[in-house]
Amino acid sequence: MHGVKRKQWTQELLKQKKEQDRKRITQYRGLVDKLLDSRDSKTYNMEVFKETTQLLRINPEYNAGWNYRRDIIEHLSPELKHEFWEDELAFSMALLKDYPKVYWIWNHRKWTLENHIDKSVKIWLRELAIVSKLLQMDPRNFHGWHYRRILVAEIEGRTGQSRDGEELQYAIDNTNKNISNYSAWHQKATLIPKMFEKDEIKDKKKFIQDEFTYITNAIYTDAEDQSVWFYIEWFVKNHIVIDALGRDELIQKLQELQENILAINEDDLQFSGKQNNWCLKVLIVLEDVQRNLKVQFTPHSHEYLAQLIEADPMRKNRYLHLLHRK
Amino acid sequence: MSTFLRDKHIAYVQSLDKHHESFEYWLSEHLRLNGVYWGLTALCLMDAKEIFNKDEIVQFVMKCYCKSTGGFGPFPRHEAHIHATLSGIQVLATYDALDVLSTEQVEQTVQFIRGNQLSDGSFQGDRFGEVDTRFVYTSLSALSILGKLTPEVVDPAVEFIMRCYNFDGGFGLCPGAESHSAQCFVCLGALAIVGRLNELSEDQLEKTGWWLCERQVPEGGLNGRPSKLPDVCYSWWVLSSLAIIGRLEWIDYEKLREFILKSQDSKKGGISDRPDNEVDVFHTLFGIAGLSLMGFENLISIDPVYCMPYYVTKKFKKYPY
Repeated sequence: MHGVKRKQWTQELLKQKKEQDRKRITQYRGLVDKLLDSRDSKTYNMEVFKETTQLLRINPEYNAGWNYRRDIIEHLSPELKHEFWEDELAFSMALLKDYPKVYWIWNHRKWTLENHIDKSVKIWLRELAIVSKLLQMDPRNFHGWHYRRILVAEIEGRTGQSRDGEELQYAIDNTNKNISNYSAWHQKATLIPKMFEKDEIKDKKKFIQDEFTYITNAIYTDAEDQSVWFYIEWFVKNHIVIDALGRDELIQKLQELQENILAINEDDLQFSGKQNNWCLKVLIVLEDVQRNLKVQFTPHSHEYLAQLIEADPMRKNRYLHLLHRK
Repeated sequence: MSTFLRDKHIAYVQSLDKHHESFEYWLSEHLRLNGVYWGLTALCLMDAKEIFNKDEIVQFVMKCYCKSTGGFGPFPRHEAHIHATLSGIQVLATYDALDVLSTEQVEQTVQFIRGNQLSDGSFQGDRFGEVDTRFVYTSLSALSILGKLTPEVVDPAVEFIMRCYNFDGGFGLCPGAESHSAQCFVCLGALAIVGRLNELSEDQLEKTGWWLCERQVPEGGLNGRPSKLPDVCYSWWVLSSLAIIGRLEWIDYEKLREFILKSQDSKKGGISDRPDNEVDVFHTLFGIAGLSLMGFENLISIDPVYCMPYYVTKKFKKYPY
């Protein structure tokens, strides 16, 4: 159980619940037994189909119920019209509204689309619009993002056209709205190398330069949130960056970024009396990258680590480990 | 400083099968065999295995065995699923009772699992095609307990897992999916089961360790993804992952212990996802398992790879055979 408040049960409340539950259990178990009997006798008709609806509304996690429902649909499919498939989509949508984190429902929705009588790309595009709406309500929904990527792959397969550009824009729109949407940063980090490889970005150099500006703005917007910092750690080490900029410009960009991070850290120190831990963690990364590029500089990593051991004691053993590495 | 309520937790786990009058008991049928594994393992860690009646449990497990497919369902008459299949095998192994399965039955179970592997090395949960790295772990773990791993299954599975490694060092539920601590556990666990952690370079592991230790939030608990609330079950998903890659001490034990203990129900026992929420057997096991990994409360030690007591897993044949 996730996120359900602990309830104090009085004797009176318990008695009431027991009374109610007795009826609900009889009804529920009756329904379950009847359905399993129909399944075992290989009954496939609209009547039992409706009973699976009844069961899944009460318990959308009943996997054997979902499987039986799909078996029924497969048996009846030659006679099922467009309207049936639309109703089936409406059914899973209604359930998703109440149970947005139940894997079985998302999976059934995908199965419904795959088996829909309308084989055109239209329904998949419509679905993409629907999932965008769902993600607006919960921009970090794990299932929603996963489902979105499945839809995009289907659409790409059916149209033979890459949607990487649109999806990158979608991810950027999301980080623009909320700079700490980690799901969107993840999406960017997944798409960008793919797009570089497929030559989907025309001016690679400009793209990387702009990305340096974007991440710099992001850390000025929220320097506490770990999302952008993890992204930076990945970005500055990725070969696409040096490939696009060349060594000299990369070194210059890294130094600018370093100066900005130092400035943010200084601001935090002035303002709150404390250094910013994420600034320190990523300054260490930047020194590593510069060292690998054989840049001459006076290293401060040991000071940063000593500072982090004090300021972020939960993770002190990691810092000690970094301090003692070669 | 809170204390670990061992006796209450034992009583709580013991009471779980006595709730036939509660509607929720029936609504959770689809997780019953998993629940038996969670409860039994929690009892084992508290050295109270005898609380469950072995014969009854083994009988129940065998009632969940699905003759037509060779897999296990989560409840008698339900359909076989990879997840329930692992739980069934784990419970039998914990009781040293795998021999209740005949040679043909074991062969059928192996066929069921292998039959759910897809051409890209991934596994689906059952015949309806949901793919998730959870099912790769579940399948490899079950085959490993049965001593039936083969290169034909392992090699493509490892390849699939490696495609799920992300920019931040975490793993997702499929290639391209966002990192999640629970997916880290299943991916690292699967690699560990088949002796292939060396697929990850030292740099990659450093990154994984960093991402995992950043799951600890100021309250002391661990979260599953950045900017999410802490949850006791991540005491297992994150900690076991760190243990598997040899970086367990990268988080603060005392603070996590305090968070787990604060999530105990001091009246009826059991542990919830976070303080003051309703308890369940899933969080009870994963809270206790986390405490065991950190070496607290004199618990029996748990194997981070299999989430079963070491005294059980040390008997498993190590792959490659």
